[in-house]
Amino acid sequence: MVAVQNGILGSARLSLAVSAGKLAGHTGRLLRVGGGTSLPGMVARALDPDVLRKMVGSTRARKLVVTGSNGKTTTCRMIAALAGAAGQRVFQNRTGSNLIQGITSVAVNGATIGGRLDTDLLIFETDEATMRLAVPEVKPDAIVVTNIFRDQLDRFGELYSVAASLEAMIGELPAESSAILNADDPLIASFAPEAKARRIYFGVRSEQVGAAVPEHAADTIRCVRCQHDLEYRKVYISHLGAYRCPNCGYERPPIDVAVTHAELSGTASTVELETPAGPLRLHLPLPGLHNIYNAAAAVAAAVGLGLDLSEAAAALADLRPAFGRLEEITAGERNVVLGFVKNPISYNTTLRTVLTRPGRKHVLAAHSNTVVDGEDFAWLWDVDLEELTPQLASLVVSGTKAEEVAMRFKYAGVDEPSIQVVPDRPAALEAALQNVESGGTLYILSGYTPTHELRRAMVQRGWVAPFWEE
Amino acid sequence: MPKPWTLRICHLYPSLLGVAGDRGNLIAIQQRCAWRDIGTEVTEVGVETVPDFSAFDLILFHGGQDKEMDVAAKDVGDKAESLRQAVETDVVMLAVCAGYQLLGHYYQPFIGPRLAGIEALDLYTVGGARRFMNHIAIECDFAGGTRSLVGFENHSGQTRLGPELQPLGRVIAGGGNNGEDGAEGARYRQVYATYLHGPVLPKNPWFTDHLIWQGLRHRYGEIEPLSPLPDGAEERAHEAALKLALRMKGKTTALEPTPWRR
Ligand SMILES: [Zn+2]
Repeated sequence: MVAVQNGILGSARLSLAVSAGKLAGHTGRLLRVGGGTSLPGMVARALDPDVLRKMVGSTRARKLVVTGSNGKTTTCRMIAALAGAAGQRVFQNRTGSNLIQGITSVAVNGATIGGRLDTDLLIFETDEATMRLAVPEVKPDAIVVTNIFRDQLDRFGELYSVAASLEAMIGELPAESSAILNADDPLIASFAPEAKARRIYFGVRSEQVGAAVPEHAADTIRCVRCQHDLEYRKVYISHLGAYRCPNCGYERPPIDVAVTHAELSGTASTVELETPAGPLRLHLPLPGLHNIYNAAAAVAAAVGLGLDLSEAAAALADLRPAFGRLEEITAGERNVVLGFVKNPISYNTTLRTVLTRPGRKHVLAAHSNTVVDGEDFAWLWDVDLEELTPQLASLVVSGTKAEEVAMRFKYAGVDEPSIQVVPDRPAALEAALQNVESGGTLYILSGYTPTHELRRAMVQRGWVAPFWEE
Repeated sequence: MPKPWTLRICHLYPSLLGVAGDRGNLIAIQQRCAWRDIGTEVTEVGVETVPDFSAFDLILFHGGQDKEMDVAAKDVGDKAESLRQAVETDVVMLAVCAGYQLLGHYYQPFIGPRLAGIEALDLYTVGGARRFMNHIAIECDFAGGTRSLVGFENHSGQTRLGPELQPLGRVIAGGGNNGEDGAEGARYRQVYATYLHGPVLPKNPWFTDHLIWQGLRHRYGEIEPLSPLPDGAEERAHEAALKLALRMKGKTTALEPTPWRR
């Protein structure tokens, strides 16, 4: 419809933008330009700023937007697997390229040269800050909000302003759409009670997991209605849990897709879910409670889209970790576990998973100050690195913030002379691997840019495929 | 022969204020005491309780987001008298961002009602449309000689000091109190107030040691200076932060500044 309204010139322009975007994508892949995933969108938008709006406006494919602080990428992969198993054709942005260019790339890559999106489902992983740009263009059929943790404050600003803008978007969803919300996050569960969209809550209702007291990094533990301290019967991750306000009675809503049973190991978990479509038993080849949340969010999204869940268990059984999410890489005689950490919650979650593995740990920790990584690394002090110290076998720190990372580890109790400071990323990888015995494992804990750089160094050695071939 | 010293620390509103890794200030104090065999005793003080603040040697009063600051501001009035008394009896206080703002007469947000401060220091803060988000470096004179403090500031509150009140330091790079008068923070008796996050203490070990020493003096009277520590990592981190602040001088690092209050 939109293309028709814009007439012949409009559609020619759209077609040109899409072709150029596709070409840019191919060229990027051929030249192995890092992060080729946002290039098609960037080029297409330059030629036609309305390219995304036009394409999604004229497709019959349903549109799903996934946002939140942590777990977006894995949740999207899980939804894609569930949709694929239910016979849907899916396009998604794959590698954490979740700014507006990356989102436009999803549509450009999935479209015909004429700009037609001949598919069933479009999954858009969207950065919280990009939501206000993406949602008006995409007009999603469903929005998934995974969680809201304190992210880089200098990028996204305060937790509450992020929450308020997401809430406004949920409130504006039309009646035939779905809002898939984390019931265990008091900030999200309270979103837009008057919203017209169908609400589907996911969460954990299991006694085997979780703790009684909030961790250090817990950041929203006050009642969203009256500001009183919330009481938690159970805390799962940071401020996610079974909460109730003793003052005004605000409490966790009834959960539609609930994790009722969970067994976790250092590398995988088995979960039982209660869903409106019946019980579901899943084996997840990914470690950690955070991935159980991701699975619950994905199943809730599938419920929202009305997908057949009979093949769900098989669909999720051979999932591999997303890029850098404790990705296992064979590095010659050694192993590398690549852990991308971007805020205190994802760092603590990753750390806990690493600590469940046996033996002392060889670690490479890297952070850099860039536009995407942020400038302020104060949040490293909210990471419980003190728990890693007794298990450390060796430590190399790297990145443009190497000195700061080294000092943080010193104050976490690591002997200063034993910390190797190697700012250059490939050199740091080399140095860290030299500490590891044959057959041993190196754990990399790094921010966005260093993770890409270190992975690229491993791609060059032939240890792992470039991420766009995953 | 180490002395059996113990520093009594009060961590004020630990669950409300501590948004930008300010917990690192406590870690820095505790570690630097531990490395010298000085004991530390930490008391967490939240809402709805009014301890005798003069019974502590060092009080940490950190920064928070708007909602948390609102809750703290509502509560701190009850604690004001005891806190003022602690200030007047030379208890050491490190106040950062929201904590700093609440020490003054008031904080007038850009939008919303005015928050009353505890009137311990002659200063007031008005929320501005402009947000200071910078690597910041300042120069201080209070601990014998001129030395620098480095950190990261993230505030839109603009603070003005009364005529008698000393700033903590002079801005070398960054916004400081209001982006206009070149002053950063405030200093009165043993109160050290600042906008520097980072957190401020780990990267500025001389400042941490000054606070520890003054805290011990509060408890034990005239004592000899603290033994020096090997500060290689701290000095390198300080140096790197100073370079960064000078290089980014005049630039704001925020990608998408939004009109949050502070
Ligand atoms: Zn309440």
